[in-house]
Amino acid sequence: MSNVLVVIGHGMVGHRFVRELRARDRDRSWRVVVLAEEPVPAYDRLHLSERARGAPEAQLSLPGADFASDDGVELRLATRAVRIDREAREVLCADGARVRYDALVLAAGSRPFVPPVPGHDLPGCHVYRTLADVAAIRAAARPGRTGVVVGGGLLGLEAAGALQALGMRPHVVEGAPWLMPLQLDEGGGAVLGRQVTELGVAPHCGVGLKSVDAGPDGTASSVTLADGTVLDTSLVVFSTGVRPRDELAADAGLNTGERGGFHVDGHCRTADERIWAVGECAAVDGRCFGLVTPGYRMAESVASTLTGETPAPLSDPDLSTELKLLGVAVASFGDAHARTAGAMEYIHTSGAGDRYAKLVLDATGNTLLGGVLAGDSSSYGRLRSLLGHRLPGAPEGLLGAAL
Amino acid sequence: MSDADVDTAERIVVAGYGPAAHRLVERLAHRGHGGAVTVLGAEPEPAYQRPLLTSVVDGTLPSGALRLPAAPEGVRLLLGVTATAVDRERRLVHSDDGRSHPYDRLVLATGAAPRLPDLPWLHGSDGQLPAGVRVLRTLDDTAALAGAAPVTVVGGGPLAVEAVLALRRLGRDVTLVHRGPYPLDRHLDPRAGELLSARLRALDVDLCLGRTARAYADGKLRLDDGRCVAAHDVLLCTGAAPRDGLARSAGLAVDGGVFVDDELRTDDPRVHAIGDCARPAGPAGSYGGHTTAWEQAETLALLLTGDDFPPARSRPVLRLRARELDLVRLGAPDGADETVVLADAARGRYARLSLRDNRVCGAVLLGLDRAIAAVARLYQRGEPVPADRLALLLGAAPEYAGEELPGDVVVCHCSNVTGTDLEAAWQAGARTPAALTAATRASTGCGSCGDELRRWCTEFVRREEAVSA
Repeated sequence: MSNVLVVIGHGMVGHRFVRELRARDRDRSWRVVVLAEEPVPAYDRLHLSERARGAPEAQLSLPGADFASDDGVELRLATRAVRIDREAREVLCADGARVRYDALVLAAGSRPFVPPVPGHDLPGCHVYRTLADVAAIRAAARPGRTGVVVGGGLLGLEAAGALQALGMRPHVVEGAPWLMPLQLDEGGGAVLGRQVTELGVAPHCGVGLKSVDAGPDGTASSVTLADGTVLDTSLVVFSTGVRPRDELAADAGLNTGERGGFHVDGHCRTADERIWAVGECAAVDGRCFGLVTPGYRMAESVASTLTGETPAPLSDPDLSTELKLLGVAVASFGDAHARTAGAMEYIHTSGAGDRYAKLVLDATGNTLLGGVLAGDSSSYGRLRSLLGHRLPGAPEGLLGAAL
Repeated sequence: MSDADVDTAERIVVAGYGPAAHRLVERLAHRGHGGAVTVLGAEPEPAYQRPLLTSVVDGTLPSGALRLPAAPEGVRLLLGVTATAVDRERRLVHSDDGRSHPYDRLVLATGAAPRLPDLPWLHGSDGQLPAGVRVLRTLDDTAALAGAAPVTVVGGGPLAVEAVLALRRLGRDVTLVHRGPYPLDRHLDPRAGELLSARLRALDVDLCLGRTARAYADGKLRLDDGRCVAAHDVLLCTGAAPRDGLARSAGLAVDGGVFVDDELRTDDPRVHAIGDCARPAGPAGSYGGHTTAWEQAETLALLLTGDDFPPARSRPVLRLRARELDLVRLGAPDGADETVVLADAARGRYARLSLRDNRVCGAVLLGLDRAIAAVARLYQRGEPVPADRLALLLGAAPEYAGEELPGDVVVCHCSNVTGTDLEAAWQAGARTPAALTAATRASTGCGSCGDELRRWCTEFVRREEAVSA
C-alpha cells in the first residue's frame, strides 16, 4: 500500500514538485494530496501581466495542472491548510478536513509585503500576485487616469505594464536610486529608467511613499511621496517585496529563518524528517529566494529524495532574471553586482546610451561570472549559459546582437 | 597667413620665457628666421621644464636638471626683465628696467600665475600670503617645501595630486583638502575618482573631500566641518590664472586668457599669444598644459617663418607625473557613440574609452600601463581601435575558450538541461529544436533559452557533417 504525500500549496514550484515526483515514482509508492488555497490550479504567475492585457486565463495554465489524467494525485482546490499536527501527522484544513501524511512538502509560497504607510489599506489599494489580484485591478482600472505602482522591481514594472495595457498612465515609486535595484547596476538602471519614461511610464526613483490619501468617499484618491510630490490616483498597486508564508511553523514547532521561511537544510528538509519545504516559503540554510528557478531546483531535489535517490545538496542558486516589457529589455545574470572577490567589470555602452551591457569577469578576465544587459537582452540566453565558463571569444562578439 | 604678411627679417619680441617661449625661439632659429628675436624673461632663471617641478620637490632631480637647452645663438635674452606695457601704435614693448623694445611681431608668452582661492584668511592686509602658506609654480617655490613636518595641500587638480605624492615620497605626513568629491574631478568620472581616492589613501594620504579651509593658525588648518588638520606648511594648488594683464592694459581682447584664433593671433594681427596665457577658440575648460603650449609654439614658429601649415589640431593629453600612479586622460567623451569601461577595483585599475566612429575621442586610464601606451598611440594617430577592446585594455588577450560549446553548461535553467543532456537527446533521435524540447523539456519555462537551443541544434548538425565528411 502506498504512502500519503501531502503538498501544501499549488503554485509554480508546488506543481513542478508534484510533476517531478510523479515522473520519478514509477512504482507508485506515493499517493499525493495537494492542498491548493486558490480556487484554480497552478498557473504561470510570471506572465500575470498578459492576463491583465486580456489574455484568457487558459493561456497562463501550466501543463497537467489539474491532474485530470493522473489518478495518483488528488488536487483539492480552495482548501487552506490551517495547522500541522506533527504528532498525529495530520494537516488540518480550514474546512475542517484532516489529512494524514507520511511525508509533507510545504510549498506555500509568499505573500505580498505592504509597507505600513498611512492609508495602505484604503479601498483602491491592491497587490499584484494572483489571478484574483489581477481581476480586481482590471475592474478598478480607469483608462486615461494615473495609476501608481509602489515598488520599481521586476514585479512592479510588470504591474506598471499591466496598468498601461489597461489604458492607465502608470507612475512607479521606487525608494532606491534606480529601477530594479536588486538586479541592475546604476548603468543598467539608468537605461531602463530612460526607456520606460519614453514608453509612458513615469518613474520616481530615490523617493519613498509617505501616504495614500483618502478622498471624501473614503477611497484612495491620491498618494504623497516623501519629497512632497502628490499624485492624484484612485488605483495604487503595492509591489514592495514578498514575505515567505510560514505561518504554520509556529504552531507546529518548526524553526524559521532569520527573515522568515521554514528553515531547511541543503536537501530542503526541516528538523522533522517527514517534512520538507520548497520554493519561496523555504529558507535554505536560512536564506529565502523569491525567484522560480531556485524553487525548481528545490522541487527536483525533494522529488528525488522521496523516490529513493540521494541528491547532492543544493548549490548556489541561479538568480538570473529577464524583463521584457513594452519593448524594453533588461536582464541580470550571475554575479551582476561584481561581489566575487577580485572580480572585474567590462562595460559596453552604445547607441547614444540606449544599449548597456556589463560582463562581470573573474580576476583573470576570462571567466564569466555575471552581468547586466539593458536596452537589448538578445544575448541573455547565451551569456547565462556561459556562467562560470571561459568566454569563447572577445566580449564584443558575444554581445554581438546587442551592439 | 599670406606670404605678403611675412617678412623674414621681422623683429620679434617675446614677452615671457617659459617652456612655450623656449620652444618658439628654438623653432624660429631652426626654421632660419632672419630677424632679431628679443626675449624678456621675468624670472632670473632661464627657461626650465615647469611640469617637472615636483621631481625637484621630492629630490629626484636637482633643480639644474630642469633647465632647458640654452637659447639659440643670436637670441637676445633678457632675464629678470618684465614686460610692463605695450604701445601697439608705435609697436614698442616697455620693460621694468626702463628700456623699450621695438617689434614687428609681439608674442605674449607670459604664462600663468597661481590662482588663489577666495578665502578671507588667505588675504592679509599687506597682500602677502600668511607665513607657512605656499604655492608651487617656480623653481624658487620648491626650496620652501623641503622639511619633514606635516603638510596640507589644498586643491584637486593634477599639480595637487603630483605634489601630494612628491611630499609623501619625502616621508612627510600629507593631508589633501579639496572642495570637490574626489581629486581630479574635472577630469575623471566618479568611478575613476573613487579608485584614485582609494589609491591615495593606500599611500597614507589623508583625504578631506568636499571640504574647504576656514582658518590657519599655529600649524593647524581648520576645515569647514570643524576638523583641524596638521599643517606646518599649507601648499595651495588651486589652479593657475593666465597672466593676461599686459594684454589687457594694451587693450587686447581678454577674458581669462588672451583670445587667439587658429593662427594664434590676438585681435591685433601683429600680436600673438601662446601657452598658458592664451585662450584659443573652442570649448572652454580645455586642458593639456604643456603639450598644448608646445604645439602652439611649433605652429606659431611655422606661421612666422612663412609656412602655410594648417593649424595643428590639438589632441589634449593629461598624464600624471607620479611613479605610484599611472593615470592618463586623453581628449574628451563628448560626441562618443560608444563607451567601453573596464573596472578592476580589486587591483585599482580602471579604463574608460570614448569612441566615435571606432576611434578614440576620449579616454581615462588608471593603472593599466600597457593599455595606456596602446590607447595613447591610437588616439594620437586617430587609428581605429581593434575589435577586441578587452584585450586592448588588459594589455593581452584573455585565454578564450573558442567557439566549441562546452557540454556542462546549463542551457535551460528552468528545466535544468545541460549541453550534455541535449546531446544525449540528439543521439537518441531528437533532431530538431522542437524534438529536443519534447525530449528534455528545455525551453518550456521562461523561454529565454530558445536561441541557445537552436544554436546547439545547429552545432550537432555541424558536428555530424564534419564526421561524415
